[in-house]
Amino acid sequence: MLEFDGLRKAYDTNQVLEGVSFGVAPGQMFGFCGSNGAGKTTTMRIAMGLARADAGQVRWNGSPVDETVRRRIGYMPEERGLYPKMKVGEQLTYFARLHGLDVAAAKRAAEHWAERLGLGERRGDKVEKLSLGNQQRVQLAAALVSEPDVLILDEPFSGLDPVGVDSLAEALLEQARRGVPVVFSSHQLDLVERLCDAVGILARGRIVASGTVTELRSAAVGRQLRVVVPDAPTGWAAGVPGVRVVSEQRGDTVLELVPGADDQQVLAAALATGPVAHFAWREPTLVELFRDAVTDNRAGTGTQEVAA
Amino acid sequence: MTAPAHPGATPRTPAQLIRLVAGREISTRIRDKGFLIGSAVLIVLILGMLVFQVAVNSGTDTTRLAVVGGSPALGEALAAQGDAFGTEVTVTGYDDEGAARSAVEDGDVDAALLSPAGVQPELLVESGGGQAEALVQSAVQGLSISEQLAAAGVRLDAAPTVDVIALNPDAGADLEAAVVALVAVFVLYTLLFLFGQFVAQGVVEEKSSRVVELLLATMRPWQLLAGKILGLGVLGLLQMLVIAVVGVAGALAFDVVDLPGQLIGTVLSVVAWFVLGYAFYASVFGAAASLVSRQEDLGSVLGPVSILLVVGFFFAVPAAQDPSGTLATVASFVPGVSPLVMPVRMAAGAAQWWEVVVAVVLMLVAISVIIRIGGRIYSGALLRTGGRIKLREALAAERV
Repeated sequence: MLEFDGLRKAYDTNQVLEGVSFGVAPGQMFGFCGSNGAGKTTTMRIAMGLARADAGQVRWNGSPVDETVRRRIGYMPEERGLYPKMKVGEQLTYFARLHGLDVAAAKRAAEHWAERLGLGERRGDKVEKLSLGNQQRVQLAAALVSEPDVLILDEPFSGLDPVGVDSLAEALLEQARRGVPVVFSSHQLDLVERLCDAVGILARGRIVASGTVTELRSAAVGRQLRVVVPDAPTGWAAGVPGVRVVSEQRGDTVLELVPGADDQQVLAAALATGPVAHFAWREPTLVELFRDAVTDNRAGTGTQEVAA
Repeated sequence: MTAPAHPGATPRTPAQLIRLVAGREISTRIRDKGFLIGSAVLIVLILGMLVFQVAVNSGTDTTRLAVVGGSPALGEALAAQGDAFGTEVTVTGYDDEGAARSAVEDGDVDAALLSPAGVQPELLVESGGGQAEALVQSAVQGLSISEQLAAAGVRLDAAPTVDVIALNPDAGADLEAAVVALVAVFVLYTLLFLFGQFVAQGVVEEKSSRVVELLLATMRPWQLLAGKILGLGVLGLLQMLVIAVVGVAGALAFDVVDLPGQLIGTVLSVVAWFVLGYAFYASVFGAAASLVSRQEDLGSVLGPVSILLVVGFFFAVPAAQDPSGTLATVASFVPGVSPLVMPVRMAAGAAQWWEVVVAVVLMLVAISVIIRIGGRIYSGALLRTGGRIKLREALAAERV
C-alpha cells in the first residue's frame, strides 16, 4: 500500500498543499486529477524526495519512503528529462543500473522495454534525434526499466498520439496486473475514467473527492434524472415536489432532485402527459464530477481560495 | 508479452553509485570526437615543441666550414676556437675556389675559407659573416702569430689553463629545470581549464535536460557531483600521464635536456599537483555551474572563478625567472594558485621541503572547505531552474 498522509507544503507564502491524503493499493491504477497549479506535481515530487514536505509523510508498506524504497519506484517527471546525447539503449541500461540491476539484467531490461514500447529500431540512436513522441516513450521506458515496485508518473499521456496513448495504457495496465500500484496524473479525464480503478481529485491543496469512479458516481447519483416526454407541455415537471428543472427542450427534460425526493412521483407526472420515451438516472461523466468537486469545494471554502 | 523475470535488484551503496556515475562520464567522454581530437592536438603540440627545440639547438650547435688549401694545424685551430665559441666545427676540404663558392651558395656550408696560409686569406659567406667570421678570424690570426713566433725562434711554454671554480654550479641546470616545469605547468593549466569546463558543462547539461530529477530519485546530490568529478578526473589524470610520458620520452630521445633524472622528478611533481588542483577547481566549477540552467549562461558564473586559475598561471612565469622572490614565494602558498607556482619553484630548487608540505596542507584544507561549501551550493541549486540563482539563495535553499 502506497500512502500519502497529510502532506503540507508552502513555497514562501503560497500554501500549495494543505494536507493531502490518499492511498493506492497494490495493483490499483490511481488517477490523480486536479486543475493546473492544484499541487499534483508537488505531491509527486515529495514522494520522490525532490521536494521536502513541511508536514506529513509518504509511506510504502507502512514505512516512510526513503532512498532504498525510492530506488524501487519508477518515476516519470513532469518536465521530461533524459541525456540528449546518449543513445537510447545505453541510457535505459544506465538507469536500470542506477536502480540496482546488475549489468546483464540491466541490458536485458533495456532491450525488453525498448522493444515493448516500439523503440527497438531506435536503440542505437541518440535521444535528441528522436521525435518528441518517441522521446516520451524512452522516458516511460526509463521509468519501467528497473521493474519497479511502484510507479509514479506525472502526466505520462501528454503529447502522445492515440496509438501512443494505447500502447502506454496497455503497458501501465500490465504493470497494475503485476501488482504494482500505479499513480498517474492527467488532464485527460476520459482516459482516467477508462483506465483507473480509483481517482483522486485535488483542488487547492486538498483531495476534495476520492474513490473508485463508481463510488464517486454513486455519491453524485440521485441528483439528475433525464426524462423524454415528446407530448408534454413546457413546465410539466415544475409542480413535482423536490424537483428543479435543469433544462427542457421539446420534451427532453433534465431534472435535479433534492435528496429524498421521490423519483416515482416524477414518473407518474411524466406518464400523465402522455408516452414516456426515456426515463433514467443520468450517469455523470468524470468531467462533470470533477467540475462539481472543484466548484462545490470552492463555494464551501471561499476564504481559503484566496490564500491558495 | 510479459516482463522479464524480476531480477531481484540489489540496493546500491554510495560507492557503487559514484562508480556508476563516473563510469558513464568516462564512457561518454571517451567516445566523444571533440574530446579525442582535442587530446590528440595537445599531444601533437607537445611533440611539436620538442621537435622545434631540437631544430633550434642543432642550428646553433655546428658551424660548417669549407677550406681550400688548409692544413692539419688550421683544422686544430678552428676546432679549438669552436670549443671557445660553444659550437662544433666541421671542416670540409675543397679543391678549388669554385667548388667552395657553390657549396656556400647551396647552403652546404656556412662559410668558405680561401688561401688561409696566404698573404690575404678570404672568407666567403652567403651574406653576413656572423659567428663563422669571428671564429675563423681568431683561428687564422692565432695560427699566424704562433707560426711567426716559431719562425722568430721563440720557444712557447705551454700556456696555463685557467681553473674554473663555479660558485653556483647548479644555476644553469636549475634554469633548465624551471623552464621544463613552466612547460609542464602550462599543460597542467590547460588541462585544469579543460576538465573544469567538462565538469561545468556536465552539470548544466543535467540541469537543462532535467535528467537530474531522475538521477536524484536514485542518489544524493553529492554522490552525483562526486561521480562526475571522479570520472572526469580519471580521464584528466590519464591525459596528463600520457602527455608526461610522451613529453619525457621525447625529450630523452631528442636529447633536449641535460638532466633526465631531474626532468622526471619535475614531471612527477606536476602530475601530483594536477591531482590537487583538479580536486579544487573541479569542485569550484561544478558548484558554480549548478547556479545556471543553460549552457549559454555558463560564462557568467565561470568567469569569476576562472580568474584565480588565470592569475595562478601568470604567477608561474615570474616564478621561473625568480623562484626565490617574494612574489613567487607567497604565491606558491596560496591555495588554488600553488599548483601552478610551487612545481616551478620546486624544479628550480628554490623551495624547502617544509614549504612544499605547508603548501600541500593548505591546499588540502582549501579542498575540503570547497567541497563542503560547493556541495551545499550544488544541492541547493540543482533542482531550481530558470535564470541564474544567487549564491546566497543556493546556500539557504532546502536541500533534498
